[in-house]
Amino acid sequence: MDDWKASPLAKPFGARKKRSWYLTWKYKLTNQRALRRFCQTGAVLFLLVTVIVNIKLILDTRRAISEANEDLEPEQDYDEALGRLEPPRRRGGGPRRVLDVEVYSSRSKVYVAVDGTTVLEDEAREQGRGIHVIVLNQATGHVMAKRVFDTYSPHEDEAMVLFLNMVAPGRVLICTVKDEGSFHLKDTAKALLRSLGSQAGPALGWRDTWAFVGRKGGPVLGEKHSKSPALSSWGDPVLLKTDVPLSSAEEAECHWADTELNRRRRRFCSKVEGYGSVCSCKDPTPIEFSPDPLPDNKVLNVPVAVIAGNRPNYLYRMLRSLLSAQGVSPQMITVFIDGYYEEPMDVVALFGLRGIQHTPISIKNARVSQHYKASLTATFNLFPEAKFAVVLEEDLDIAVDFFSFLSQSIHLLEEDDSLYCISAWNDQGYEHTAEDPALLYRVETMPGLGWVLRRSLYKEELEPKWPTPEKLWDWDMWMRMPEQRRGRECIIPDVSRSYHFGIVGLNMNGYFHEAYFKKHKFNTVPGVQLRNVDSLKKDAYEVEVHRLLSEAEVLDHSKNPCEDSFLPDTEGHTYVAFIRMEKDDDFTTWTQLAKCLRIWDLDVRGNHRGLWRLFRKKNHFLVVGVPASPYSVKKPPSITPIFLEPPPKEEGAPGAAEQT
Amino acid sequence: MNRINKNVILALLTLTSSAFLLFQLYYYKHYLSAKNGAGLSKSKGSRIGFDSIQWRAVKKFIMLTSSQNVPVFLIDPLILELINKNLEQLKNTSHGSTSECNFFCVPRDFTAFALQYHLWKNEEGWFRIAENMGFQCLKIESKDPRLDGIDSLSGTEIPLHYICKLATHAIHVVVFHERSGNYLWHGHLRLKGHMDRKFVPFRKLQFGRYPGAFDRPELQQVTVDGLEVLIPKDPMHFLEEIPHSRFIECRYKEARAFFQQYLDDSTVEAVTFRKSAKELLQLAAKTLKQLGVRFWLSSGTCLGWYRQCSIIPYSKDVDLGIFIQDYRSNIISAFQDAGLPLKHKFGKVEDSLELSFQGKDDVKLDIFFFYEETDHMWNGGTQAKTGKKFKVPVTSKQ
Repeated sequence: MDDWKASPLAKPFGARKKRSWYLTWKYKLTNQRALRRFCQTGAVLFLLVTVIVNIKLILDTRRAISEANEDLEPEQDYDEALGRLEPPRRRGGGPRRVLDVEVYSSRSKVYVAVDGTTVLEDEAREQGRGIHVIVLNQATGHVMAKRVFDTYSPHEDEAMVLFLNMVAPGRVLICTVKDEGSFHLKDTAKALLRSLGSQAGPALGWRDTWAFVGRKGGPVLGEKHSKSPALSSWGDPVLLKTDVPLSSAEEAECHWADTELNRRRRRFCSKVEGYGSVCSCKDPTPIEFSPDPLPDNKVLNVPVAVIAGNRPNYLYRMLRSLLSAQGVSPQMITVFIDGYYEEPMDVVALFGLRGIQHTPISIKNARVSQHYKASLTATFNLFPEAKFAVVLEEDLDIAVDFFSFLSQSIHLLEEDDSLYCISAWNDQGYEHTAEDPALLYRVETMPGLGWVLRRSLYKEELEPKWPTPEKLWDWDMWMRMPEQRRGRECIIPDVSRSYHFGIVGLNMNGYFHEAYFKKHKFNTVPGVQLRNVDSLKKDAYEVEVHRLLSEAEVLDHSKNPCEDSFLPDTEGHTYVAFIRMEKDDDFTTWTQLAKCLRIWDLDVRGNHRGLWRLFRKKNHFLVVGVPASPYSVKKPPSITPIFLEPPPKEEGAPGAAEQT
Repeated sequence: MNRINKNVILALLTLTSSAFLLFQLYYYKHYLSAKNGAGLSKSKGSRIGFDSIQWRAVKKFIMLTSSQNVPVFLIDPLILELINKNLEQLKNTSHGSTSECNFFCVPRDFTAFALQYHLWKNEEGWFRIAENMGFQCLKIESKDPRLDGIDSLSGTEIPLHYICKLATHAIHVVVFHERSGNYLWHGHLRLKGHMDRKFVPFRKLQFGRYPGAFDRPELQQVTVDGLEVLIPKDPMHFLEEIPHSRFIECRYKEARAFFQQYLDDSTVEAVTFRKSAKELLQLAAKTLKQLGVRFWLSSGTCLGWYRQCSIIPYSKDVDLGIFIQDYRSNIISAFQDAGLPLKHKFGKVEDSLELSFQGKDDVKLDIFFFYEETDHMWNGGTQAKTGKKFKVPVTSKQ
């Protein structure tokens, strides 16, 4: 039928056909390279996709893990994030990379101009003698420090060496001489100038003029020098003009770990110079101190007002000691700066504290006094719940147990209305007259220099009648006046909890400081337990004084009280001497006694109802003014009070010098 | 043969890779669903709604503040109101046993917290940690108004507001600062030029349109939706304060200009009068507050505040205003109990009522009652047309 054809042929045909299809396919496959390539590419693509999906998976897993962890460790990636937040640095793109610097040195005038801007100009008479030094930031050209060292006078060259050594390598140094800068420029200083690359500096002679620009540790960028022809004349004025190439910001900075603290440090160190190791690249000195907390700290929430002017180096030293004191709470500290000075503000920012600037009102003492008023008002406004405020000044070292001392005594201010203040300073507490860190006194004079002010006293009494700007009064003298003090007393420690280191000041100079402040005793023992604090209350103190006087041994009044042998060479005894004091304000003998005891004699300090308490040769030494003091009753009838006559030439000399 | 082998290898490779790819995709999908469902599956049936972005943002924020010791408490009006309604219930349920997210999951744009600035010990670094936790934060700073009253002080700016955004929800941290007079103050949220105006819908913020003042609240800790938060002990009182909280700073600059022209009277009499007038004002404010009576500075006292940020020394009395509808018959006795005997009573409750109390040191307290008509307000017989609404100004709090 019709399958004859098909059946025998079907298989071979089909097989052949199949085979041919396979062959064709195979042939095509083997021969069409393009297709083969296509397949290969496809496979590779597959592989690639696999890899990508894989990577995505890994990334996703990691993110999920980090998200899960983040709740527990919020600080993770902290530093990374900070790195990203840093503002992008300008890279070389500034308009100019060169500063032109002009330096002028002459007998009566010096000036320095950077890019046409005068950064130093001194032509005042009888002032600014010596070597003026300016430090510029090598990346920005900003003035970082300005100093003058009167190397005509002794020891100033040492200060210069100290300063120049503190300046970071790479900074631009500018020196110029006004009048005379060589007389006391000793070898150490000259060697240092030589190491800076200066030719003329080490050979600087009498009344030479000299201008120098150089990089610290790097090349000299310009120097001019003019020799003085004769002893009686000066070198010709020299004007040095030079170009200073700026370097990149990276070079000018240290590579500190990126932390909050170091960010503050970096900001500070790129602006100012002359603070020593705080800006040292290797091993910088810490700016956070975290002293031990004080157990049961009663003054933790008492605001601390730091009254400051434009003495940033002082402020730096002061804040370091304050922040190292046990029990300090930095967020309670406010620094009040009298004027729009940048550098003190930079110091405040370095320590992460609150700083407030005050437009100066009035002049001299009145300016200080107005600054005090604004600062105190602001302090009580900022801390409306505070019952007290601690008032400090920028030229004080603060004892390690300053807050411990206040914490133990502050309740007295609350409980005893007859108190005016608590002060950390004992006017009569010198190395040779103070002994017992646990002992407190009541005194009629307000010492200041680190003290506690009661809010009610300030708000209700002092603030409304504070001296107005036109009155050139010292605020502290005003506060000591009987109208203000109204018979109230202050609590002071025998051994001061503050130390006055300021040598430059409105009422202060080197001689005065040496004579009255340098030898002041300062407590360095931490955690002193004050003794019998409640006996400082008004009535209890009288009991205490009577007890002391009763057990005191009366000294030999025939001896000269100025002689060392007036007090026997014992230890731990209590002695009493009686001096003549006709009326409450008769301090003739006391002043002479204070003078020969080498303690504060410029006005009367440290008295309590005609009684002074101090230490001599480790013995408690009481001085009673007879007959004005109510304690005169303790005088044995046989004793004649000591009378010391004031030296006649001192008559009419101004008695009172103020304490700054 | 060679070629066939090559092709076979190729095919095999392709097969393995696709199998591997399929496995990867499957695993990935599985993993993703596991991650997303974690919150839900873990607590299926027992915790409802805890995956909302609001709750998550609040949770993160509370974790942040407790780990960094940021002293915050909840002031969000919406949530406080809900909490206030269910306060008893909240206190009774023990920790973590809440099954439903009733409070923090409510849809809203913001959750407002107050930050007690004076208790904040470590301000630094907090911001960055928040940002690392996924928050986008905005800080609004301004000068410290507490220094405004003093000549020419300029200090470090103080933070007024923080807004931290997590996805679509934002935490609004209102910084409360202490002010003299035992109240807490918050500042005006003013955007500076460079700030992103579209960061959050600022118009919907509950706080910051104006500066505000609040009584210092006592706080209590409650567990809300499984989160421990501090809230005011009396949420109702806080909520009631909000509409009246607008704070008007005294115009110190103008006051200084006034004193430059007319000089301040600093005689002993003036100083004592000011002191006793302020004490009297404080006593009156305290008494009226106890009665729940709204009041404002009136007449000379108001002028003194407005013109010189102080009491006018020659005014010799203290004047307050009260709406007549707020009159209570026990006002007189309350003042008497506070040590202020009634001196005069003018008019009647229906007409021109004025009460005059005798304070100490011969300072008098005059209370004028104000009568509202449709288009004006008047008091004490003399019609005092005042277009403006009064608000308790700053001096009454000092």
